[in-house]
Amino acid sequence: MPLSGFETALGLVFDPYVLLVILLAALFGLFVGALPGLTATMATALLVPITFFMDPVPAIGAIVAAVAMAIFAGDISGTLLRIPGTPASAAYVEDAHRMTRKGQAELALGLCLVTSAIGGLFGSAVLAFSAPSLAEVALQFSSFEYFWLACFGLSCAVFISTDAPVKGVVSLLIGLFIATIGIDIIAGHPRFSFGNVELMGGVSFIPAMIGMFAIGEILRFATTTGPKLEVASQAIVHIFRGLGRTLWRYKVNLFRGNLIGVAIGILPGAGADIAAWISYAVAKRFSKEPEKFGTGHPEGLVDAGAANNSALGGAWVPALVFGIPGDSVTAIVIGVLYMKNVNPGPTVLLHAPELLYSVFIVFFLANLLMLPLGYAAIRLSRQILRVPRDTLMPIILIFCIVGAFAINNTVFGVGIILVLGVVAYVMEENGFPIAPAILGIVLGPLVEENFMTSMIKSNGNLIGFFERPIAAGLGVVTLLIWAWVIIAWAVRAARAGGPADAGEERAV
Amino acid sequence: MRINDAVIGSVLIVFALAMIGVTRTFPAMPGQDYGPALFPTLIGIGLIITGAILVAGGVARRRTEPWFQGGDWLRSRRHTACFLSIILGLLAYILVSDWLGFILTSLILLTVWLVLFRGGKPVSSFVIALGVTLAVNYAFTTFLLVPLPLGLLEPVIY
Repeated sequence: MPLSGFETALGLVFDPYVLLVILLAALFGLFVGALPGLTATMATALLVPITFFMDPVPAIGAIVAAVAMAIFAGDISGTLLRIPGTPASAAYVEDAHRMTRKGQAELALGLCLVTSAIGGLFGSAVLAFSAPSLAEVALQFSSFEYFWLACFGLSCAVFISTDAPVKGVVSLLIGLFIATIGIDIIAGHPRFSFGNVELMGGVSFIPAMIGMFAIGEILRFATTTGPKLEVASQAIVHIFRGLGRTLWRYKVNLFRGNLIGVAIGILPGAGADIAAWISYAVAKRFSKEPEKFGTGHPEGLVDAGAANNSALGGAWVPALVFGIPGDSVTAIVIGVLYMKNVNPGPTVLLHAPELLYSVFIVFFLANLLMLPLGYAAIRLSRQILRVPRDTLMPIILIFCIVGAFAINNTVFGVGIILVLGVVAYVMEENGFPIAPAILGIVLGPLVEENFMTSMIKSNGNLIGFFERPIAAGLGVVTLLIWAWVIIAWAVRAARAGGPADAGEERAV
Repeated sequence: MRINDAVIGSVLIVFALAMIGVTRTFPAMPGQDYGPALFPTLIGIGLIITGAILVAGGVARRRTEPWFQGGDWLRSRRHTACFLSIILGLLAYILVSDWLGFILTSLILLTVWLVLFRGGKPVSSFVIALGVTLAVNYAFTTFLLVPLPLGLLEPVIY
């Protein structure tokens, strides 16, 4: 590890302006994450127009801090209201809320906070230790490997993140189509722009994201008919009382949750929410008292609470090493980096190692900051949860408009958020996941460019994709994923006597 | 708003066919088998295949799933109004913000949205709208140097 880069990075991060940005972003993340209906991804989407005007280090710092806080804060409304603040808290919301009903809200929130911070630190450590050495390997990669890597990432995104693969594929294809709009990279021919100059420039990434993650969610909020939220009126003071004993009792769970979280985070396309679901399921499977799960038992909470935060660090591994996002948040970050003329991938290690180290430092900093800020947020939780969302949503809406406008200073961006917001709303309502579409938008150009470059290199010979060992390995794995999914689907369809798959999606 | 998969699938197929039709007009790359039409065509084929699977599944379940099923919110006038106000508001912003200017457009839109979302309270809605508009305007024009349009207020300010 070249130490000079690390020292430069320390200087970059421990700058009063950057620290202030991180602190404000952390508070913003806590607030957004704690409010039901406002997700961590939405927090990122709302931050991006502002980070657009910053240098890469504060921009990334803001996103890392906000997301880490939002994932933890999602537990607050989950515990007190039984409504997960972010999808990543959904796996164990039943246990957390029932603990509140048993009068153990303090213990539940304390566990969520401490396991989140430990998970986050563990994820940061894995990221910091694995990324530089992996990047050295990745430096050997050529367009063939990158083509397969991008395909692998997209395949994982489709098949891991959803129980309805067909709908995942449709979402991915929609994203890929959006990515093709505009001047194509190799031949310079305008596609699907119909003579419109602004479409020729392509669908800008920031408005696309604001549309899919923020406008889509606001439309959903506007159409949600339900009773008013009831905040549990328990005194929440001694968050850390009895915490050490419980954590010690479940130390194996804590460790296992960390490992599972990082591993799932590293897989391209799967992020914190899936990590939480899987580690909760694993915890139940190996527990001595599985019958207690879902009744207000802290065991699964420890596993999944650690897993969803350690997944965040894991998700950055493929993003930093290969430029292939591990979840929708890192997809957004990669889009932001491209706009700042930083090419995410192993070359960052050569050209801007201080950027890489800054990310590691920010990760540690954000997760340490989580303890005091999270404690304050828990103490203030009743006030935060009472913020009228009816008032907040229109304000977020106007903010989205200005954010979309600010990218190119034209109302074209507002058009994009409108169209994609409605598309995302209809998709979500009908069980189509959104994450594959965003990954498609980010990775589409990468897949196409690397395919075309490879074809020019190998004179149009498709065998070229299997001639280098790593490329061949990645290619075989990717094709196996597809073969496995198609066969499994065909078998199920044959058993059910018709296409059985599309209707059985999990409620998200 | 549940739409039967068959309807969504059909829309996807029609869309994909139109898309492939447009790619026929793309030029080939000299000396290359693969040109700018390749990826859009592959995406189109993918959409046709997945669209067909959705249609088959949707038709098989048509007894239990109607072609279109509006959510509960469609029966509530307030929720329907909120939903439409978001879409119409964004359209209005696109059409008039340049002429009317950011401050006036935002003030009007926010007031309308706040009244609809909160079910009344026009005076406090207007006050909140005014405060937020001025704050957003100040933050974006002064700190981030985004040229939000002045519109009708231009002669008033200068």
